[in-house]
Amino acid sequence: MTAENDTEHGQPAEPEKDRELAEFAEERESLLRITFAPLTWALHFVLCYGTVSLACIKGLIPLPYTRAGLIAATGLALALIALIGWRAFVQWDVRRTGDFTNPEGHAEHRHQFLGHAGFLLAIISAIGVIYTGLPLFILASCK
Amino acid sequence: MSDRNGYPVIDRSRRGPYPPTEEMLAEPVPQEEQEAQQRRLREVWATPKGFRYWTAVNNTEVGVWYTMTAFAFMLMAGVMALIIRVQLAVPENDLVSADRFNQLFTMHGSAMMFLFAVPMFEAISILLLPGFLSARDMPFPRLSAFGYWCFLIGGVFVIGSIFFDAAPNSGWFMYPPLATQAEGPGSDIWLLGLSFIEVASIAAAVELIVGSLKCRPPGMRVNIMPLYAWYVMVVGGMILFAFPPLIAGDFLFELERSLDWPFFDPERGGDPMLWQHLFWIFGHPEVYIIFLPSIAIASMIVPTVARRPIVGYSWIVLSAVGTGFLSFGLWVHHMFTTGLPNISLGFFSAASESVVIPTGIQIFAFLATLMVGRVKVNLPMLWIAGGLAIFTAGGLTGVMIAVAPFDFQVHDTYFIVAHLHYTLFGGMVFPVIAGVYYFFPFIRKVQLSERLGRWAFWLIFAGFNICFLPMHLTGLKGMPRRIYAYPEGLGWDWLNMISTVGAFIIAAGFAVFVWDLLRPKGHQPQIPRNPWGGGTLEWTHDVPAENWGVRSIPHVHSRYPLWDDPKLLERVDAGRYYLPDSKQGQRETLITSVIDAEPMQVQKVTGPSWISIWAAIFTGACFILPTFHIYWPAAGAGALAVACIIWWLWRDTARPPEVERKDVGLGLSLPTYASGPASVGWWAMWITMLGDATGFASVIFGFFFYWTARPDFPPEGAAHADGLMIAAAAILLLSSWALTLGARRLNWSGRIAGARIALGVAPVLALLGAAALAASVLHLSPSSHVYPAILCAVVIWVGAHTGVGVVMQLYCLAGSLAGKLTPNHDADLHNVTLFWHFQALSALVACAVMGLAPLLLEAPA
Repeated sequence: MTAENDTEHGQPAEPEKDRELAEFAEERESLLRITFAPLTWALHFVLCYGTVSLACIKGLIPLPYTRAGLIAATGLALALIALIGWRAFVQWDVRRTGDFTNPEGHAEHRHQFLGHAGFLLAIISAIGVIYTGLPLFILASCK
Repeated sequence: MSDRNGYPVIDRSRRGPYPPTEEMLAEPVPQEEQEAQQRRLREVWATPKGFRYWTAVNNTEVGVWYTMTAFAFMLMAGVMALIIRVQLAVPENDLVSADRFNQLFTMHGSAMMFLFAVPMFEAISILLLPGFLSARDMPFPRLSAFGYWCFLIGGVFVIGSIFFDAAPNSGWFMYPPLATQAEGPGSDIWLLGLSFIEVASIAAAVELIVGSLKCRPPGMRVNIMPLYAWYVMVVGGMILFAFPPLIAGDFLFELERSLDWPFFDPERGGDPMLWQHLFWIFGHPEVYIIFLPSIAIASMIVPTVARRPIVGYSWIVLSAVGTGFLSFGLWVHHMFTTGLPNISLGFFSAASESVVIPTGIQIFAFLATLMVGRVKVNLPMLWIAGGLAIFTAGGLTGVMIAVAPFDFQVHDTYFIVAHLHYTLFGGMVFPVIAGVYYFFPFIRKVQLSERLGRWAFWLIFAGFNICFLPMHLTGLKGMPRRIYAYPEGLGWDWLNMISTVGAFIIAAGFAVFVWDLLRPKGHQPQIPRNPWGGGTLEWTHDVPAENWGVRSIPHVHSRYPLWDDPKLLERVDAGRYYLPDSKQGQRETLITSVIDAEPMQVQKVTGPSWISIWAAIFTGACFILPTFHIYWPAAGAGALAVACIIWWLWRDTARPPEVERKDVGLGLSLPTYASGPASVGWWAMWITMLGDATGFASVIFGFFFYWTARPDFPPEGAAHADGLMIAAAAILLLSSWALTLGARRLNWSGRIAGARIALGVAPVLALLGAAALAASVLHLSPSSHVYPAILCAVVIWVGAHTGVGVVMQLYCLAGSLAGKLTPNHDADLHNVTLFWHFQALSALVACAVMGLAPLLLEAPA
């Protein structure tokens, strides 16, 4: 696939290119989609911070319930990120193309690149969520 | 073609072949035609001569002024650092007084952050980004110029205060109660002067985001745009979410300073911690706002040096976006010693450790590129290498102090001073100087001296380590920050002396660098066009210089067009590509789609004008005069600033074009007008409002923060806002929003009279709504307790925005009456409706918080 594309480089009117354009032209992709995983991290982070403040400073919720609830939320966030990451991985399609870099100005490369970026962002977001979850496991008291 | 009450629908689709075929590109352009095109372009893009030079708005002029001004402020802040170092060289020194010392370190930090580091990013991006994207200019040149003049006026005002012994003296993060109770105008100068500059920063962020989303050359899809553009988008987005909390904080702070509303005064229910939160929600992303654009410069230099494409493009995009997000989860690591719950500290400690991962990834990507490339080390690379070494050292101490217990030990000691200088020098100063050496041939068409550059590098690199490496030890030995003198015999003496010597070696290095920048270079032979052998579009620049930006806007299909397409340069020069001409004598650039950069529109861009300078002068007066408690003239200046901006918009933006479409070359015909999401103005409004909404959210956060942190919020038996009035305000403001939306629909469908009526009634309802909102809190006394104070602050915020919304509605009404706004040319109305979407949302939130929340929150806890 990539080798074929390379030979066509700079000749956008080739039939192969037209097929690609047709394949992806209808897709109105949004840059925002690659931020879904980090946004999940952000929401999870704000939820943890806000809830712990309510528990420890305001004293609204008993801490054990807070911890249990937030650990559950951490699991949920991780599941969501896994789903986002899996969809991005499928979009990247590296197992079929073997292409890790997507350096060409075709619709298909752009499509796969956004999948790749989304996939990597899902990994870093998952790490972020796990890190954020650790204090909930380790620390049993507010002070 | 369909018809809307007599107004034909204008076809604004793209016509003609796209993308261009090889045959089309191979067809030569006749020589006479080329020369005629060049003549016309040269004339259109000419820089004004003589005194009128200062009216220039082109990115090449504004960018140079901007960088030079920021650099001058940096040198001044550097001199302050030298005085600080001399004062601390020996124990019990009495060179400067304690108060003067406080002013010096406050201004050193504030100036380096607000007058150098952030503006420098904007300045460099304004200067370079159009080159990277082969755009003729940024989409809103006058906005750049306005931002620059605001920056200059605000910067001179803030930094000048030190000469009058009136500078702020409470540290660059201005903690209350020290800063709220500080005597003299220092704190006000900081608050108003820097708020003014923050507004300019947000303007620049809007410009840069829209520039990198909509002004890319045809074919430059998101997967092949220069990494610099990715970084600019990320950093612009970060500015939008980081600066507004500080502006909201400044707003509350200034209300406390001038009206005695007790937001940060614990005796009347306030809480100084709110300031710390708002400041650091800004302050920590700020560090990455400074770091990322500088590392973006490295991402442009490293492939050239390695003479191969960057390794791990997607990984670098990941690290830029990932860092952008994670950096918002770090702010409390500046507040580890404030007594927050341990679990909360854990969250921020964890996030601080996780941000290391994306930061590390990009450094490894650079190293990988260098390892697999055929490296030819040049002077810019030397600076990059030095910067990465220093930054990595700073990052390692960062990993240490992100661990809360370690931070408890070294908090507010010289260990922190060493850490932050390692990250900022390595992460910002060195890469920026590398960028100056690398891009100087692009900017000035002459080269800097290799020999002087090496001298400057080794002096600054050595001096830096001599100055700051010992500070780690000084800090571990317990020396606190910000003390103006220390007694003998604590083991700090010789360490401080070494640091001072190092500081002067840095200064010597900067002296060499400044001499190299400023020395006359007229005798230099003409430089090669692509002196470093780069592969990105900025090296299609013209030598000797031309003002048109790019001769014709190429169609690109790879990340390094100059390497991959050997005919590109010749075709750009021949005017073979897009927009090679300006037949109507207008400044124009190409607008493309966000994801795939397909050509969409020819955008007329504005030219030289005094109006941006006048607007900046009046805006400046409006911010600066209140520092000296001169309120009425300030209000007058504010009105004049608004008048200037309206004049500027009315005369030159979104007017119905003379022709509805233009031939842009290669058989392609594009519309000359766009409204709604297709237009750059709509995107600018969207992005601005996102920032504005963040500011509003920060004020609302304040409300809930007080409720969480304070037992007496709302205090028992407190008077609340009047519920009936609040309900009336909500209904009136929402009706005004609905009428604005209705006006847009009516106007679009050709029912102009109906649209005008809606636009006439909407501002009346809006004003009534604002009045009702104000009436709901009139009986409260905001200086008695923080609860009425925050309610009143919310009313002021929403009221001021309603005022802006009313001006916008009336502007559209006037436009409709004057024929500027028609069913086919309704960009203004689209943008105003977008503003009102946000306005309606904030009105709803405000009314809910003021009217409903107290009822729920007062329930027995």
